[in-house]
Amino acid sequence: MSGARIEFDDVSVAFGERRALHGVSVALDQRRIGIIGSNGSGKSTFARMLNGLVAPSSGQVRVLGLDPAHQAKQLRRRVGFVFSNPDAQIIMPTVAEDVAFSLRGRELSLAEKRDRTAAALERFGLTEHADAPAHSLSGGQKQLLALCAVLFGDPDLVVADEPTALLDLANTRRIRRHLLDELSQQLVVATHDMRIAAQCDIVLRFENGGLHDQGEPAAVIHRYERDHA
Amino acid sequence: MITLYRPGTSILHRAPAGVKILVLAILALAISLLVRDLSSLALAAAVTVGAYLLAGLGVTGLAAQVVAIRWIIVTMLGTQLVFLSARLAALNTGRVVIVIVLVSLLSLTTLTADLLDATDRACQPLRRIGVDPAQVALLLAMTVTTIPVIAGFASTIRDAQRARGVPLRLQFLVVPLLIMSLRHADDLADAVAARASE
Repeated sequence: MSGARIEFDDVSVAFGERRALHGVSVALDQRRIGIIGSNGSGKSTFARMLNGLVAPSSGQVRVLGLDPAHQAKQLRRRVGFVFSNPDAQIIMPTVAEDVAFSLRGRELSLAEKRDRTAAALERFGLTEHADAPAHSLSGGQKQLLALCAVLFGDPDLVVADEPTALLDLANTRRIRRHLLDELSQQLVVATHDMRIAAQCDIVLRFENGGLHDQGEPAAVIHRYERDHA
Repeated sequence: MITLYRPGTSILHRAPAGVKILVLAILALAISLLVRDLSSLALAAAVTVGAYLLAGLGVTGLAAQVVAIRWIIVTMLGTQLVFLSARLAALNTGRVVIVIVLVSLLSLTTLTADLLDATDRACQPLRRIGVDPAQVALLLAMTVTTIPVIAGFASTIRDAQRARGVPLRLQFLVVPLLIMSLRHADDLADAVAARASE
């Protein structure tokens, strides 16, 4: 292993008979990492392995120096995960409570938790919805809430699995801006939006469970689009 | 919508959640055991109106809660009128309605997070038998959060079926609803694992 922040060494994942990933070896230190590929190509499996939601069937994974299979709890404190369906990641009933959930278990006073929550909501333009039921928000606002809640936990690495898949143009732009322009942490984003991939520092392309291509974004995207022309 | 909280600064908004739950429990018990005639029912109703006024929600706020449970009132009153006198039916229904709107008042004036903290504290003695109070509180919160989601699934399924001319039948609704709910439970479990690190 090379000591990179994200390392996969001959990693394979099988769900019963189905091979979701096979023979993936990669070492990544870039700040913004794009993952592209067809539906069912292994993008989401790769992303979910980064915080231990999926364990390898064989091979070795290390993320931020930790083994997700055995140190998932420590890793999840340092890796924030944004899912494609915002409905499925809202845990608490109201907007402010859902954001504050990210501070669960931390030794902070109630006033401090409330102040920090208010500041985070303001940053994402959700202040006026603070006490609203989270599920009453629009799809775009829910995804902003999900991103806000994840970043509120102050992770070292943010993993986003198709974060704009269900969003309209305006909300896609908003999420793109937050992820690519404002985020200071390392980002791994699995996406079908080539504009997001194009702004990354490196793009990995998965096909049929294998790492098919990787490198400079424009070149990888060009080959991907050519193959599917 | 299941989350009823209305922001405010009244004494009821500021009172600790644990105290409110305790007072509510005492009131519910008193109404169930002591209200035996229409005059004591009127007294309980007056206390309820007073509590809503104290919370700054007014008679309109109270009326909205009564309207929200209109079908419970109709069903209770209707079935009891078959077997009991009108006086007894009104007394029984009145008691239940007053307790429900008082419970609603708790939700209207208390943030879910504060209710959960109170639940967490109340469940602390259960640690001795291996129950984690934080997990109980989280379970309650997720139940509250999930109810509108499941209701949304039912509405989506019904809309899709209506668009294709499928008549309303329970079996057509239950199977897809169960599948969508189980899938949602899977996704939610992933989200909790990803965010809660537990």
